[in-house]
Formats: sequence, C-alpha cells, structure tokens
Amino acid sequence: MDDRLFKAIGQPLERKEDERLLTGQGRFTDDFSLPGQLWAVMVRSPHPHARIVAIDASEALALPGVRAVYTGADCARDGLKPINHSPVPSTQFDLKLTGRGGTPVFVGPHRLLPADRVRHVGEALAMVVAETREQAAAGADAVMVDYEALPWVADTAAAAEPGAPRVWDDLPDNVLVDATFGDIAATDAAFAAAAHVVTMKTHIARVTGVPLEPRAALGHYDAATGRYTLYAGSGGAVRQKREVADVLGVDAKTIRVLSYDVGGNFGTRNRLYVEFGLVLWASRQLGLPVKFRAERSESFLTDYQGRDLVTEVSLAIDQDGKFLALRADNLSNVGACCVSLSPLSKGSGLITGSYDIPVATLRARAVFSNTMCTQAYRSSGRPEVTFAIERLVDKAAREIGIDRIELRRRNLVRADQFPYLNAVGSSYDSGEYEINMDRALQLGDWPGIAQRRAEALARGKLLGVGFANYVESSIGTPKERADVIVHARTIEVVIGTQPSGQGHETSFAQVTADLMGLPFDCVFITIGDTDIVSAGGGTHSGRSLRHASTVIALGVQDLIEKGRRLAAHVWRVAAAEVGYEAGRFSGPGATLGWFELAAHAGDPTLPEDLRGGLKVRRDNEMHTPVFPNGACICDVEIDPETGGIEITRYATVDDVGRCINPLIVHGQTHGGIAQGVGQALWEQCFVDPHSGQPLMGSLMDYGMPRFDNLPAFTNEIAEVLSPTNPFGVKAGGEGGTTGALAVVMSAIEDALVNEYGPLDISMPATPAKIWTAIQQVKAAAPAAA
Amino acid sequence: MTTLALTVNGLSVERDVPDNTLLVTYLRESLGLTGTHVGCDTTQCGACTVRLNGQAVKSCTVLVAQVQGAAVTTIEGLAPGGRLHPVQQAFKEQHALQCGFCTPGMVMAAVDLIEHHPGPLAPEFVRSELEGNLCRCTGYHNIVKAIVMVSAAPRQAAAPTVALAG
Repeated sequence: MDDRLFKAIGQPLERKEDERLLTGQGRFTDDFSLPGQLWAVMVRSPHPHARIVAIDASEALALPGVRAVYTGADCARDGLKPINHSPVPSTQFDLKLTGRGGTPVFVGPHRLLPADRVRHVGEALAMVVAETREQAAAGADAVMVDYEALPWVADTAAAAEPGAPRVWDDLPDNVLVDATFGDIAATDAAFAAAAHVVTMKTHIARVTGVPLEPRAALGHYDAATGRYTLYAGSGGAVRQKREVADVLGVDAKTIRVLSYDVGGNFGTRNRLYVEFGLVLWASRQLGLPVKFRAERSESFLTDYQGRDLVTEVSLAIDQDGKFLALRADNLSNVGACCVSLSPLSKGSGLITGSYDIPVATLRARAVFSNTMCTQAYRSSGRPEVTFAIERLVDKAAREIGIDRIELRRRNLVRADQFPYLNAVGSSYDSGEYEINMDRALQLGDWPGIAQRRAEALARGKLLGVGFANYVESSIGTPKERADVIVHARTIEVVIGTQPSGQGHETSFAQVTADLMGLPFDCVFITIGDTDIVSAGGGTHSGRSLRHASTVIALGVQDLIEKGRRLAAHVWRVAAAEVGYEAGRFSGPGATLGWFELAAHAGDPTLPEDLRGGLKVRRDNEMHTPVFPNGACICDVEIDPETGGIEITRYATVDDVGRCINPLIVHGQTHGGIAQGVGQALWEQCFVDPHSGQPLMGSLMDYGMPRFDNLPAFTNEIAEVLSPTNPFGVKAGGEGGTTGALAVVMSAIEDALVNEYGPLDISMPATPAKIWTAIQQVKAAAPAAA
Repeated sequence: MTTLALTVNGLSVERDVPDNTLLVTYLRESLGLTGTHVGCDTTQCGACTVRLNGQAVKSCTVLVAQVQGAAVTTIEGLAPGGRLHPVQQAFKEQHALQCGFCTPGMVMAAVDLIEHHPGPLAPEFVRSELEGNLCRCTGYHNIVKAIVMVSAAPRQAAAPTVALAG
C-alpha cells in the first residue's frame, strides 16, 4: 500500500449513514410491517428448571383475535430442528476446547420451544399468535401450564460441583468443557523455584448487552413462491439465513433475510434467536405474516448474555520482579445450552496478557446452569483475562514492594520480540506496548497524582488512580466476499459484514475510493439483504474492517485487470499495453476513467467474460489473527462517608493498526469504555440465590452508564501496522472495553488501600459495597482511644 | 374509541383510535412515523422522545386520549425541506450517533434542552439534564460535544422545530 495515494483513508470523514438515522429514515426491524400481519407473544417459564407436565391452551384460543397457540410438541411434530449454533471455535488459531479426556463437546440442543422441560427463567415454551399484539399478550396470559418444579443451579461455581442439579441428563454432571493447555511440568518447576507467588480468585459477573433496539422479527411465508422472508436485525444476515433454513429443514435458497439498520448488537445478536424461526414457521402455518417484538423485560431475560467467568490465577515471580510462570483455572457459565464457547476460547489464548511470561498452564472449563445462555459479549473473553492478569500484577507489586508501573515495565513484551509467541501458542503480530504505557501515563498525568490526591482529600474525597495494559485478539469468521460494481456514476460494493453503528458504509467507502482513485462520495456499500449479499461472515470479534479492506483490495486488483482487458478491447490493443494509475487507464494517445470505461461494458462484441458490466466478485479466506493492544488510566474519587464514587479522568492509548477513520475509531473507543465501566460499577444480571429468579427485569433494576455518571474521555490512537493484511488493520471496536474493568477496579483499590488496606470489593463496585467494605474495616479496628 | 385531532409536524390529522392507544404507537403504526423508537416500554430510555406543544415528552407513556388538539413534533418534522436542524448537523459533525436507534429521541431532547436554556451550556449541565436518555453506543462523549457546540452558536441560526404544512 502506498500511503501517499490515500486521500480518504485516515480522514475523520462524516458518516454516510447519519443523514437517514438523524431524520427518522432508518430501517430498523420493527419499522417494517406487512399487510395482514399477525403478532406473536411468547409464554415464558417462571421457573429456573421445571418439567412441562401439561399445557392447556383452550382458554387462550377462545379469546378475541387469537389465531393459534403453538407448543414444543407442535414443533417436534413438524420436524423443526434445534438451532445449530456451532459453538466451538474452530479456526486453526483457536485453542481446541473439548469435553473431558478430549471428548466432543455436548452442547445441549437449543430447541425453538422445548417439549420436555424448561431450563431457565424466561425460556419460551409456547407461542400465541393473534391479530394484535395486545390480543396475543392476553392470550399468552391465558395459556395454562402445569409445571413440576425441578432442582436448579444458577451460580457458576456451584454448577460445577459434584452432585449439582443436572441441566442435561445426557452428561454425568454440568461440565461440558474440560481442557488443559500449556506446559504443566515446566510451570510446576517455575512455581517451585519462584521467589514470590501471588494468587487471586475472582468472578467476572454476568451482564447483558442492552442494545437499545429490542430484538424483533417479522416473518412471511409466501405459499405461491415457496419463499420465506425474514426481517430481523442481527450481526450477519447470511449466517441467520443458513441457520434458520436448517431449523426449518428447508433449502437456504428459499430464505431471504433482511437486516438493515441494527440498533446495537455488542454480540447479543450474533446467534439466532428462537423467535426468528418461530415467526417464519407460524407464517407457514397461518398463511399470513407474523411479527414479534421483545419487550425490554424480555430482552433482559432472554437476550444472549455475556461474561460470567470464575477465574483463579497465580503468578510466579523471581527475586528481580521478573515473571516466570502463570497458572490459571477458568470456569465459564454457558447457561442452559451452549451457543458459543468464544469467550472461554478467546480468553484462554491471552492469559499471559501483555507480558513476556515464558511458561503457563491453563485449565479451561465450561458448565451448564439454569440461566439464559451466554454468548460473546463486547470483547468476548478479553476483559475477563485482562482483569485477571492486571489485577494480579497490581497485587504482586503491592505484596513484593515494587512500583506497579515498574513491575509492568520489567515484564512487558518488547517491541523487538514481535512476532511474539506467548506461552499458550498465540502469536502476537505487532505492537509497542511500553510506548503505549508511557503515553497513557502522560495523558493521565501520572506525575500529578500526589497533588490531585491532596486536592481531593481537602474536599473529603479519596482519589485513586488505576492503570492497566491490555492486549486482545481479533479472529472471527475467516471468509468474506465482496462484489465491486462500476455503475454509470457510482461504485457499489456488496459485502457480507453487518454493522450496528460501526460505520461500515463510511469506512469501507474510504478504502474503496482510495483503492480506485475515486472520490469518497461516489462509493456506496450494500449490506444486509441476502438476495443481494450472497456470502459473508457478519460482524463480530473486530473482524469487519480487516476482512473487508482485504477482500475489497483483492477485488479492486481483479477489477483493474478486468478494466485493462476492457480498455484493450476498446482501443484494439493488447492488454499489456494498457496502463493503469490512480483511477485512469491509459492506452495509445488516450485515457479512460472508471465510469467512461464502464460505459463500454455493454458492447455486444466483447468477449464472453467481459460482458454483463464492469464488476467483479472476489472471495477471500484469512485465518491469521491480529492483536490490538493499548493502555488505560483513570482517576476515581470516593466519598468514604457514603461509598459514592465518581470517575474524574479517563485516558487511553489504543493501537488499532491502520486507522481508516479516526472519528469512528474514537467513537468506538468511547462506547467501549462506557460498556466496560458499566460492568465495573453498575451492571449485573443478578439471580436471586434463593429462588433462581433474575432480578433485573427493566432499566430500573439494571445499572446503565448514563450521561451523568461518565466523564469526558481522552483518547489517542496508536497505529502500529499489522503485517498480516494489506492495510495493516487490527481492530478498533473492543479495546475500550478490554481494559476498562481492570483499570476502574485498580483505581478503586488505589483510592482505598492506604486508608483501609486491600478490600475485597467485587464488581459491580456499587457505593453500597464500597461503604460496607469500609465499615467492616472500621468495625474490625481497635476502638479509638 | 376516540376521534383524535392532532397537528403532527405541522399537518392536521384526525383518526379514530382506541382510548388506550399510546402516543408512540399512534405515531409509528397509524401515521407510519417510524423515526420515533420504542426502546424500553417503561419511559426509562428516552428513545421515544417527541415534542408535545413545545415540551419534550416520552411518548411511550402518553395516551393519545390525553393530548387531544395538541401539536406534536417528531424527528421527521425537524428538518423541513431536507435541511438538517443545527442539532442534527452537529450530531453528524461530532459523530454523536452510532447505531442511530436512540438518536431521534436524543435529538428531540437536545433540541428541547437548548430551546429552554439560552446561552452556551456547560457540559456538566447537559449531562445532568439528559440523564433520562440512554445511549449504549457512544459513551455520551460526542453527544455532549455536539449539544455544547450548538448551544454556543448564535441562536437565530436555529430552524423552527415545527415544520410548516406542505
């Protein structure tokens, strides 16, 4: 890539998406309606675990407007299949997760409606279809279900205990994954010889994505054509098409999925939801379109949730503060059935964090429980392991008596070590970790801490400064396809990613414009309609820009070759005599631009393969991961009288590789930070340990990042290009979240440790928890004289 | 049933609607104004914010029976003739939206805030006043920047918020 040719790449261009979204012209799923459409409302389990003894729909069916009530028995009778989520990550760079002794992983069939038993609160077991949404809701209330309550388990550690209530009878217990990686003997030897060993056990709690658009689906089966049309926002329409076809047992060619504007995803929408299959199936039964829209309380109960990892991690350190070995035991709660092991797998490959730790061993386990299924949630698996290693390093610094920055500096992977192979086999592509750390310390005014602490104390506040480095991995589905089409005055790129706010229509157009030597304004990106988008991997794991820029670059190369041959035909010369530079083809005494050339593409005398327009289709497969990285620093002020906490500064340095659009990258970082801070301070899917009931059913119960509880951010982008792809792209969507849990909890500890010693405060670190921890220390202290 | 007469984005509309119809349902499903979004059903997220007689309201907890004869402005009525309102323009310039789902409500709330408070607004004030509007994508940073920027600009530049009929 010749950077000198870049006109759009690297510029903070305003987004092409914004005009429609700002004027109410967006196309979100619930904005679509079809004539005659019916509404579906689900009957959901109030029990964490119960046998379905009987379902009586007679009263519901007698209500006005109710057209049908369907149960799991109906689905089974019609041959509907469980959703094939393919939850085990399978690229050659993913750690191989298995059941005990290397056995295949039992995932637990995810049926649209179960016929035998319900396995979590909120699981749909019947669907009522009526003429209006209100009538369907009244019908759902009137469906009488006879349950036999069964023993249940929701807590992650408890679910892994021998004798815990079993979620599935197919396994002897709830453990579906139990795999060990690394060099056990070398790790044991390093621990035996270590001058210091520090250990930490923690639970990274369950949270949920809360995309502001509740999930929705509108399904229509057209008996005349045999086609199914599904309007449903997701993280990738192509995948949804394949999976919903599989569920219905029909050819994928008969399915069209439309996913235009998507109101947030964060991982929650990357797996198929049962309602998506159900509306299509019900439409086939009833001959009319069927629509579903989740209420916010349904979203809280049954959107795919995130995190929920118990981790125990130990670090062996020599007398000079050099890290020798790491040992980790990670236990992931997948919920009632397994839709994704990505969080466990992603985290496993990064357990040594940003540090050069020669040997490590990791035991990775996953358990079923009577809770909603978990899925990759923003920065899947990486905030968890970053929290573990960074908090452990803080603890080690305190226990050994070395400055926490100095201890990090002695152990960071150095710039001259790349590509760096970590102790569990991940090959970090590139980075300047120490430079990032030093720059973050500058941005966060590390030298000014003492003064800020004194100023805060004068106001009765305890100020703490947190610090964390991070490294994460971006892998994702390896295949992507692009169609690059030259129209009369515009360029169209058809691609199979699926944004939900990441600005693909803008950044992909920037890439395409510069590759073709054309203005940004004439490039348009088409996504989200599977009748047009024939293939593609969707959007997750920070894959989209890297995969898109690569396949578009390859496509444009092909297009230039095709253009050369077309120009050769126009000028009646050999293709080798046609030159190309910066958007213009040149021949003997003449030049043609893209659009002028495209005007010749209808010439009937063209050779067969040049006919049909100036366009190409290009597929690409790219497995090699990249490793975005960075550092973050934040100040918190705590009121020791109330436990009240305020973030007063927050700065990051994020190495995203090549930055195509800094406006978009900064926006991603801001939102990522907010989501990470949310988990550190407010968010949790809390399940009542006595009843198994989730206690967060609305935005009143679930703590969200708001305008007035976040600070302004200071962010810098570092561009250490990745050698793995043409533009050197890493990823920019998740770094903000990755370090946030660690840095906020580091700051809280720093604020309190001098006064009260190390306190055991778990996330979310609410004022109540902070206040209680302070009171416990005060109560335990000898009475003042 | 109620015969409801409203002025919506400058146009008079009259429809028979069930008494229990919510304003947001009426706007979206009867009038097809789908720019106003439902994010939570319980008036906590603000995605459904519209202006009712010049005041921002969350239209998911307003019954149409309460607003007989009122003037309603939705996001669709904010940019007459295709010219963006200064708040819309600032959101675009400052990248104050990502997925765009909270955006219509956010913009309506911001317009209301700016119209009710003359002069440049402090970021802390904007944060405090808008805490009833949720955004999951932006971390709020750029939204605050956009609103502060508009509030500091000469006010006569603002377009009228109720579109003229036509």
